[in-house]
Amino acid sequence: MSRLIAARGSGKKFGGAEIVLALSIAVLVVIVAVPVLMILYNAFTVDGKLNIGDVVDIIKEPDTYMALRNSLIIALGVTGLGTFLGVLFSYLVARTDLPFKSLMKLLFIVPFMLPSFIGAIAWKVLLSPRGGYINKMFMDIFNTSRPLFNIYSVAGIIVVETMYLFPFVFMQVSAALERMDPTLEESARISGVPLGTIMRKITFPLIMPSIVAGALLIALYSLAHFGVPAILGTEIGFYNIPTLIYRKIHSSGGSFASIRTGTVLATILIASAALILYLQKLVLKSGRYSIIAGKSMRPMLMKLRRSKYPILLLCFVYIFITVILPTATIMLVGALKTYGLPFELKNMTLRNFKYILNWRMTRQAVSNSLLLSLGAAFVTMLAGTIISYVIVKMKVKGKFLLEFLGVLPFSVPGTVIALGVILTWSGRFGINLYNTTWIIFVAYIARYMAFSIKSNSAALEQVHDSLEEAARSCGATHWQSMKDIVLPLIKPGMVAAFFLILLPALRELTTSVLLYGPRTRTIGVAIYALNEDGETVLACALATFALLIIVFGEIVIRRIISAKEGGPSGG
Amino acid sequence: MKRAITLLVLAAMLGLSVAATAAPKMQLMVYTSMKEVLISELIDAFLKKNPSVRIDYYSAGAGKLMAKIATEKQANALVCDVLWTSEVPDFYQMKAQGALEPYVSPEAKNIVSPVKDKEGYFTPARLGTLGVAYNTNKVKNPPKTWEDLLKPEFKDGFAIANPALSGTSMVSVGMIVENLGWEYIQKLRGNGALMGQGSGQVVDDTAIGDLKACLGVDYIVINKIKEGASLGFTYLDKMLVIPSPVAILKGTKNLEAAKLWVDFMLSKEGQSIIANSFTLPIRADVPIVQGVGLVTPAEAEKRAMKLDYIKLMSDKEATIEKFTSIMTK
Repeated sequence: MSRLIAARGSGKKFGGAEIVLALSIAVLVVIVAVPVLMILYNAFTVDGKLNIGDVVDIIKEPDTYMALRNSLIIALGVTGLGTFLGVLFSYLVARTDLPFKSLMKLLFIVPFMLPSFIGAIAWKVLLSPRGGYINKMFMDIFNTSRPLFNIYSVAGIIVVETMYLFPFVFMQVSAALERMDPTLEESARISGVPLGTIMRKITFPLIMPSIVAGALLIALYSLAHFGVPAILGTEIGFYNIPTLIYRKIHSSGGSFASIRTGTVLATILIASAALILYLQKLVLKSGRYSIIAGKSMRPMLMKLRRSKYPILLLCFVYIFITVILPTATIMLVGALKTYGLPFELKNMTLRNFKYILNWRMTRQAVSNSLLLSLGAAFVTMLAGTIISYVIVKMKVKGKFLLEFLGVLPFSVPGTVIALGVILTWSGRFGINLYNTTWIIFVAYIARYMAFSIKSNSAALEQVHDSLEEAARSCGATHWQSMKDIVLPLIKPGMVAAFFLILLPALRELTTSVLLYGPRTRTIGVAIYALNEDGETVLACALATFALLIIVFGEIVIRRIISAKEGGPSGG
Repeated sequence: MKRAITLLVLAAMLGLSVAATAAPKMQLMVYTSMKEVLISELIDAFLKKNPSVRIDYYSAGAGKLMAKIATEKQANALVCDVLWTSEVPDFYQMKAQGALEPYVSPEAKNIVSPVKDKEGYFTPARLGTLGVAYNTNKVKNPPKTWEDLLKPEFKDGFAIANPALSGTSMVSVGMIVENLGWEYIQKLRGNGALMGQGSGQVVDDTAIGDLKACLGVDYIVINKIKEGASLGFTYLDKMLVIPSPVAILKGTKNLEAAKLWVDFMLSKEGQSIIANSFTLPIRADVPIVQGVGLVTPAEAEKRAMKLDYIKLMSDKEATIEKFTSIMTK
């Protein structure tokens, strides 16, 4: 069985690996733990004294439990729908003879690149109850005053969030399906087991950790999501916890009481997240498998036969509705002279785009976002790899605490990470980063550490201990076995972590919306603020540039990876 | 790949530190709730006159600005030098809290305004008005009185911006409540009226036809009409007239630049730019733009709803809460 790797390392001199380890833990504590503790501290104390009465008062308010209920409804709906779509599409792409597979695989990840709040703006334009272009068309054609679909609704919020969050499951599950040892399925097949039973008894148990990991990401993300409910919900007085915090803070003019209210609300979310994490542990405990066994073979493909092309068509329709339609809408609205005009050539202009290009505010926002996301992705990827290694491979006591700390900020609304970061980094401990880019940088690291740890842990869990043990028994040092065996194997996981952070950070809104100063706007903040200020056409023009940057960045990065690895990386 | 990423990251780090440290001599940061169309031209003209000042501005709803300033103060990192919004109660409050730096501009004597502060803690720099912005495809009979808004023509289609976000909306709600009573708000809600988002967004929602009409700020609506939006703009019998004060924050490191800016805003040149952006100037010697539906400051003054700003200062949060709870029920 596996040995106590940590015990052996500590007996020797303090080497490079140990220094990196100590540093990562320090990073986790300072960047992640302290802000969260500051939130809890501020939620439960007034002037340094414990104060439970206020906390109870805040929780008793009807606003609060309505918001909590709404958050839960959204999270449940989005997780259910998103997991279903993610598993379905990943199975279609990985295990059937669907045509144009590599293209489809790429296309299904595209929604993940699109910022969900930009999607929400597009859907607002298309499906707002009376003014939405689609609804208007529908009402004209059928001569009715009932809209086709009212996007300002719980269903609207759930559908829009699902569109852009399902890739969490899709990516996790298709990776697992591809790496899975197909001999298991094949031997069952040869023994005459029907396909349904194979899927139930072999395939699903093997990919279950990936499904749960993806679903958990969706659940945590939608529970604490700000952008879509802020754009589609506030209009009808529908608040979830993050948007309620945002509202509370603004209506009280930013006084300290409202920050405290925010921290109390966040504490509720932290508790819910801890519960979700605990449930996930229970589910995964019942079956943990190493699915990389050192060899790799092409898995058997399920034949779709006659339904092949109808299913392909369905996939294309899905992509059209979730990606092409909203993107085109954003671009067209960005080209309108003023909002509300019909899409006719005489109403179109390039003026908005020119304006955005020359406007100092938007230029600054774009460069801020680029710098922040690259920096945060790199730092977080490295720290996350090492922390994951401790969690997955080392047998140290209390590592659940480490894992909990790493995943914690993901379950806290970005709004409240922002509050925690403000409380921590605005001079109280001698460092004042307020109104600088650095405070957003620190918040991003805290916010995205969970992505990195999840992605790296999943990769590490699939590297069987036997591989490392083999190296060690041949005389390799701890560092050598890690460098030559583990790191190459988890490199895809690390690269995945880098992008899992880079892309969301590029369009981040929830956290930066509370941290930005007049000179430190991010792209997300700039678009959201323009939309909120009723500059819809300018918001869409800027969103067009943002989409171009994101797509361009994606293409360049993929080129770099496939060129360096000397082969097609599967898109 | 690693090298490419490392290079990118190094570049990012470098950029971050440069972004964090840039700091030339005479700086000025203006926080304002005025939209781009109004503020940017003023800034350009000011820069032409005072090239030695590096002026920057941050435009957002008044609620957001106050939240930002409060947080900056708590973080002991005040960036804002000058505040210019329409949320008049905030200025009284800040004066009472000793958060403002008094400055009586030499231009102040030319000002005509319902609100004035003799010690110069704040000075009105624009006379904002709100009328009804309506979608011309949906509303055939523009409203003339407040009672008209309760008619079936506006059922489920009239909105007021969120007073927590918008200063003009906050003061408007205060005026409506003081002059027409909470019953009027109840009746509006009874006719399906909504609470929108910011003062700009309600106008955009009206332009696309999601709303039939809304309370709209003069220059925001008229600018969109000029761009060709399907909007109309009209004043009701009792008008909403809200001065937008400008104030210098106590503790600013850029007092001289701040005074230059206040002087410029109140000067004839500054006020002409403001007036030409389709809102009302604060000086009698600056003409308004004709033919776009604006009325003269004198007439606006006559038709204006009265408001006790000092009282609204203490009632502000309760008013916002009550309005929000009526409109979202």
